[in-house]
Amino acid sequence: MKKYLSLLMAGVLAVSVLGGCSSAFDDGSSSSAAAGESGGAQTQAGTAAGGETSQAAGGSNGGAATKAAGSNVIHIPEHDEFRTLDCQKDTEFYVVPLNIYDRLVECEVVDGVATIVPSLAESWDISDDGLVYTFHLRSDVTFHNGNQFTADDVVYTVERMMNPATAAVNTDFFSMIKGANDMLEGQADGVEGVKALDDFTVEITLEVPFAPFLANLATPSCSIYNRAATEAAGDQFGIDPAVTVGTGPFKAADWVLNDRVTLVRYDDYFKGPAKIDGVELIQVPDENTQKLMYENGELDIVDLSSSTSQLAYFMGNDAYKDNLVTGPEAGNYFYAFNQDMAPTDDVRVRKAISMAIDRQTILDQMYSGAGHVVNSMLPDGVLGSYEAEEIPYDPDGAKALLAEAGYGDGCDLELYQKTNDPDALAINQVVQSMLSQVGINVTIKQMDEAAYLSERKEGKLGMTRAVWWADFNDPDNFLYTFFTEKNTKVRSLNHKNTDVYQWLEDGRKMVDEDERMELYKKIDMTMVQEEAAVFPLFQMDHVVVVQDWVKGFQIPWNGWTDTSYYNVSIER
Amino acid sequence: MLKYIAKRVLVTIPVLIGVVFLIFVMLSVVPGDPLTVMMGEKIKVDVIERLSETMHLNDPWYIRFVWYLRDVVLHGDFGMSYKLMRSVSSLIANAFPKTLMLAVTAAVLSWIVGIPAGIVSAVRKNSLVDHLFMGFALCGVSIPAFSVGMLLQNIFNGILPVSGFASPIHLILPAMVLGWNAAGTIARLTRSSLLEVLEDDYIRTARAKGLAPLPVILGHALKNSLLPVITMMAIQISSLLSGAVITETLFSIPGIGRLTVDAINGRDMPLLQGTVIFTTTVIIAGNLVADILYSVVDPRIRVEGGK
Repeated sequence: MKKYLSLLMAGVLAVSVLGGCSSAFDDGSSSSAAAGESGGAQTQAGTAAGGETSQAAGGSNGGAATKAAGSNVIHIPEHDEFRTLDCQKDTEFYVVPLNIYDRLVECEVVDGVATIVPSLAESWDISDDGLVYTFHLRSDVTFHNGNQFTADDVVYTVERMMNPATAAVNTDFFSMIKGANDMLEGQADGVEGVKALDDFTVEITLEVPFAPFLANLATPSCSIYNRAATEAAGDQFGIDPAVTVGTGPFKAADWVLNDRVTLVRYDDYFKGPAKIDGVELIQVPDENTQKLMYENGELDIVDLSSSTSQLAYFMGNDAYKDNLVTGPEAGNYFYAFNQDMAPTDDVRVRKAISMAIDRQTILDQMYSGAGHVVNSMLPDGVLGSYEAEEIPYDPDGAKALLAEAGYGDGCDLELYQKTNDPDALAINQVVQSMLSQVGINVTIKQMDEAAYLSERKEGKLGMTRAVWWADFNDPDNFLYTFFTEKNTKVRSLNHKNTDVYQWLEDGRKMVDEDERMELYKKIDMTMVQEEAAVFPLFQMDHVVVVQDWVKGFQIPWNGWTDTSYYNVSIER
Repeated sequence: MLKYIAKRVLVTIPVLIGVVFLIFVMLSVVPGDPLTVMMGEKIKVDVIERLSETMHLNDPWYIRFVWYLRDVVLHGDFGMSYKLMRSVSSLIANAFPKTLMLAVTAAVLSWIVGIPAGIVSAVRKNSLVDHLFMGFALCGVSIPAFSVGMLLQNIFNGILPVSGFASPIHLILPAMVLGWNAAGTIARLTRSSLLEVLEDDYIRTARAKGLAPLPVILGHALKNSLLPVITMMAIQISSLLSGAVITETLFSIPGIGRLTVDAINGRDMPLLQGTVIFTTTVIIAGNLVADILYSVVDPRIRVEGGK
């Protein structure tokens, strides 16, 4: 009897395994089937690759990843799973929104300068007082579901963002529009400042002038949605690719959670169809695995600036010399000081720390020199950037300043970072040893990311290495983010200069461009040079390695990892 | 027997409630909230304040604990993941088959390799083969999964897929990583247990009556020596089923382990509670199966009434 029982249990186990087997792989095969429909993901699988790769591909029955070679689809690794494809509800993952939606305007590099160019809006007029923006929309744009794009979709997009029921996290991108906050607070059913004048003209009125408004509209968060499709999709919008509809060059085709998101070409794209059949965004959290897959030909483009542990390998290897694509990042690395904590509450100590750190050496040794030292919060290429006075490397001067501040015998300093940030750890350790030369005894404190962010939000985090990349091309995006009264606490800077708080509010409302840039220069110099609230380090070059067959890949104006793959093609 | 099983199943209920309670207490002590993590560098205080209110993140933990229990017990609703914006039960249902496939492959691999290796080692005690097998087993037990994984990835790169979960072929390397570790334990246990049994009187009797060595080992000794091995197998399976975090990350396998780690890192309370309840259940079930198997293999042991 017992024997039969054990046989029965073994049988149950076997059946459940088989059941598990089929359901476990169903996902994988459906994803490759979706890519197949797009025309070509599965064609010639593994034939053009090296012998070893095609061997692996030949042996697998659903391995979309191993079939990279030979197809007209590009394969990109991703570190972390996307939260949603709805960019009103997410602040982090923009690669899919950049490829499946469009904005009214876009920011592109034209003749080496980041410029606002028409997109869904053909042209626009701005009233003299800077309050009323009238957009003339294209009449030849369709959404992926076939619906025509009209002014009503723009109205809908703004109102959806500000609708409290949406629970959007990017409300600040539209909150300067007249009446937007009323809707967010539940006091109005719509946004007063957005009106469709006719099918292809939309008028947006601001509460007060907001100079960076156009640049702001070019951010992924301001992607335009279709009223009919988005309303019908409800809470599945952004989650179920089938109902996540935009106007962009690619359609969301499939999303296998923690495995991959598949985008396929949208043939009726208003700027003309893309040259590739699609994009596969594959979850590969481990950076060494990304390297191996690239070498196998399973990945077409790997962003080394976000997989920094592999940067030295590719940059130091002559075989990849011609495969590296670089471009400046519109962003800075810097150290942020907390002015509520000793010893960085003393400006002399902050300046001494800045003078004791040899930035050029760090850049050369750690980042293969891929970037340059900066002395301002405004990186080159961003509106308002200027030639700032150099912060000297002067250990003796640093010692003198420390003595003046009463720390002649040295002092203790805590340097905070996240545990899962090897890049920060590496630079922090170098800084630790440089600061010990002038008598500052640094302790590196590592915290779990959630704890780190929560302490920082409360203004309680000590000195940290920070990074900021531009959302939109305007100095406001750099300075407002760190130095307003509210933000300086949230970023654990706690600077007390009330003039700067006021100037930042004034700067948003100024219409005269030259006057405005002068003001931002003044703010930057006050914060960086005079008060040393932050210590700018580098503006890095963004480095990406692409396969020989990938053509037309460019670093976007802001140097982001997330970019549009519309202009990329595959030529073998 | 049935009474015993029913009792064991009922006991799991307070255990599960206790585990969820602990998670609530721990997460309320640890700093960090899901919205702040989600927004990261792009933090906006106004948005966090507004959404914390609608998501009930400002309520005290014991209030949220009571609501959570109510939803789970009355509606079978495990909530929505903050990070992945999907129902927790659908996320687990989606991830489990992958973990199951990996766990079963690894376990079967470890039995096929581990048990024979243990037998041979015991029979040829202190021989070269014994040392070789036990050295291999020791490496399996002691080398951490991430180094074995990276080693295998580098060796087999280009021959076998090193990442993803699209086909059975993708299972080979991660199953080898997990299987080696499990095989090491199994081999060592089989060896020591078999050696012990081989000293017993009845084995000497069997030999004395002139039986050939092989039937003595396979027919008489092995059956009795496998008792602890079976227990270990059941425990291993249940721990493999709760997700191999490092292996799943290294090989990009979207299983339970990765889900749990993501949940912890993102302070995704509903998802974490869901995965913890799930893995606790699996482990309790694994132990229960081990106990039952034990009595099936060795009829002398009666589970009923603790006699």
